[in-house]
Amino acid sequence: GAEGHWRRFRGVGLARGFLHPSATVEDAAQRRQVAHFTFQPDPEPREYGQTQKMNLFQSVTSALDNSLAKDPTAVIFGEDVAFGGVFRCTVGLRDKYGKDRVFNTPLCEQGIVGFGIGIAVTGATAIAEIQFADYIFPAFDQIVNEAAKYRYRSGDLFNCGSLTIRSPWGCVGHGALYHSQSPEAFFAHCPGIKVVIPRSPFQAKGLLLSCIEDKNPCIFFEPKILYRAAAEQVPIEPYNIPLSQAEVIQEGSDVTLVAWGTQVHVIREVASMAKEKLGVSCEVIDLRTIIPWDVDTVCKSVIKTGRLLISHEAPLTGGFASEISSTVQEECFLNLEAPISRVCGYDTPFPHIFEPFYIPDKWKCYDALRKMINY
Amino acid sequence: MAVAIAAARVWRPNRGLSQAALLLLWRPGARGLARSHPHRQQQQFSSLDDKPQFPGASAEFIDKLEFIQPNVISGIPIYRVMDRQGQIINPSEDPHLPKEKVLKLYKSMTLLNTMDRILYESQRQGRISFYMTNYGEEGTHVGSAAALDNTDLVFGQYREAGVLMYRDYPLELFMAQCYGNISDLGKGRQMPVHYGCKERHFVTISSPLATQIPQAVGAAYAAKRANANRVVICYFGEGAASEGDAHAGFNFAATLECPIIFFCRNNGYAISTPTSEQYRGDGIAARGPGYGIMSIRVDGNDVFAVYNATKEARRRAVAENQPFLIEAMTYRIGHHSTSDDSSAYRSVDEVNYWDKQDHPISRLRHYLLSQGWWDEEQEKAWRKQSRKKVMEAFEQAERKPKPNPNLLFSDVYQEMPAQLRKQQESLARHLQTYGEHYPLEHFDKRGLQCFPDFSTAEAPPLARMIYP
Repeated sequence: GAEGHWRRFRGVGLARGFLHPSATVEDAAQRRQVAHFTFQPDPEPREYGQTQKMNLFQSVTSALDNSLAKDPTAVIFGEDVAFGGVFRCTVGLRDKYGKDRVFNTPLCEQGIVGFGIGIAVTGATAIAEIQFADYIFPAFDQIVNEAAKYRYRSGDLFNCGSLTIRSPWGCVGHGALYHSQSPEAFFAHCPGIKVVIPRSPFQAKGLLLSCIEDKNPCIFFEPKILYRAAAEQVPIEPYNIPLSQAEVIQEGSDVTLVAWGTQVHVIREVASMAKEKLGVSCEVIDLRTIIPWDVDTVCKSVIKTGRLLISHEAPLTGGFASEISSTVQEECFLNLEAPISRVCGYDTPFPHIFEPFYIPDKWKCYDALRKMINY
Repeated sequence: MAVAIAAARVWRPNRGLSQAALLLLWRPGARGLARSHPHRQQQQFSSLDDKPQFPGASAEFIDKLEFIQPNVISGIPIYRVMDRQGQIINPSEDPHLPKEKVLKLYKSMTLLNTMDRILYESQRQGRISFYMTNYGEEGTHVGSAAALDNTDLVFGQYREAGVLMYRDYPLELFMAQCYGNISDLGKGRQMPVHYGCKERHFVTISSPLATQIPQAVGAAYAAKRANANRVVICYFGEGAASEGDAHAGFNFAATLECPIIFFCRNNGYAISTPTSEQYRGDGIAARGPGYGIMSIRVDGNDVFAVYNATKEARRRAVAENQPFLIEAMTYRIGHHSTSDDSSAYRSVDEVNYWDKQDHPISRLRHYLLSQGWWDEEQEKAWRKQSRKKVMEAFEQAERKPKPNPNLLFSDVYQEMPAQLRKQQESLARHLQTYGEHYPLEHFDKRGLQCFPDFSTAEAPPLARMIYP
């Protein structure tokens, strides 16, 4: 709502010119923050056929297009998806597949998820969109008490495995309390669902397709700050990236760094900084699936390096880093050279003007890493 | 307005500008519209026409200040076919069901009643942990079930066992679920009365209230897309209708044009909460039109009224792809559950009135008697026979072991995650050492490799788990 309204005026100088009459346009431009990360594209994938440059929202559209093309039962629904979605993830799909397959619902998240569960119970593929992860909470009961438990409680007579919920996730520079949240930890505590978070367009398409085809209800969080900012070569044809498999995107020997989504690019940069300034070799892991998570890959890495740093935007207390930390110290206690470090958001709601101070940026991660090395 | 005028000067609208943006910059009205470019306007309205143009409502103007008074003194009338003595009131409304079918209705209701009595008692004796009876509402179950196709998908709340009974769900399986024994298709995972049956298109019950309502709508949407010619029926109580999920379900069903019957059992109470504390409007039927839903209120204790309404709703829901709301007025004669003693909040006289003067079973029995399709002798014989059937199933259910403890871990996901398998192995190892402190003698242990002493093919000896 508010987000879209301001987008129309951006780049015109209107808001700034009118509201800050004493400032020059240049000052205002300098005051706008630079992104806290640099997106690092992966090398062009060769094994999936022809590729095309796509940003994150385009790679999502591509995955959805592939899904609706090969699965005649698949439908996409949510608020504002018909015209293309507030982040343009569903552009063109209604025209291509029809209004019975790509349609708006009333403004009601508990309805969207409940409705999606019902479609999935009949065996059809339901792809629900929750406009912002911040608004997923009205649907929490349907997700946790219903979707996650459908198969178990019915003795496998019924299930809603063909349900996927997609939702924009994470900080975006100006999102504040209700357009920036990373709620994965709430759902990590819920056996029966899968939670997946991609770091890039190529990862997003493959992981989303896997979620849609997975026989369990999945939540797919899409880092909104990457929708435009991340662009790389992505295969046009469908392909799958396996769920519950973390990826070691850079091998190293001294410290293991674990993150997911946007934060992977932050820790990648931290790894470079560590190499350059401290001569430290970092192993960088993108967790990709939050639950069920790939314990073996992370533990194997920590057994090798002896040091672990986990970083996420979500608040520290009860954040998913605590689960990783707890499991790793159980499994790798004698291999640890230093306490496990968590660099996370503070235990506050996500602030607006203070965002640059709130987020676990590369300097905080670097500092924590330095302390771990010197422990 | 100053902002808009300043904006208008700075920013010239271009061809790509949407209608909405135009309206932000220009004040609507005769002069404003005259200045806007006619070829860009998408709406067909003339500025000289005084009719309302709002997209949000199709209505005339009124110049008198008047609030709509909700009518709760004389609410939506209650459709019935039989009087309280089981006599048809208006012959043209008689569904003329064949004798077979009416007997099936009667026997389903009475068998359910018998099973309820025995299982309620079994909870009191500590044989099962919990139970909910259906006393007084049997008519809502069988009347509606009889009007559906066998393949119509049913989403229930928890007090619809008669639907399953009508669909010939065997006593053995009702009991298996209540006992959580090895025959339970639900694998012992849920509290009693949380039945489910894929074969009979009855989605497994869950405890959270009203969650099934938007789910039923989704299932109906999928049925519509599949051209399945099926309706989905969704049962819920008047209390559950207060949940947000109910509002969500109704609104989605209407906007997305789903072939669904919403069947509300208004039985007067949500545990101890009477309807006067549940809502202040004219029940649930009155809410339907607010969503654009065809609605009716029926006498839930009149099996034929329930049948007729459901039959017609089904026909039209499938033919026209629109939802129907049936509010079946009835009375919960029993306690909410075995955890409830309703004498704490209602009088015995009130309960007795419904039990004696307005009961779906007795009304239908009067009808049967008047048709010459039933008599006292058959009634006696049937009572004896149904009790015998129930007792046999009950004794069998008691004797069976509980399912294998490994089933605690399966079906969380379609495939078992590695971490969960580790936990399963951890329990197995724990039981190797501490097994004596667990009620293992009641459980099937076949194939549990950690129990070398019990890895026989025989079921364990008769043992009764007692619940405190």
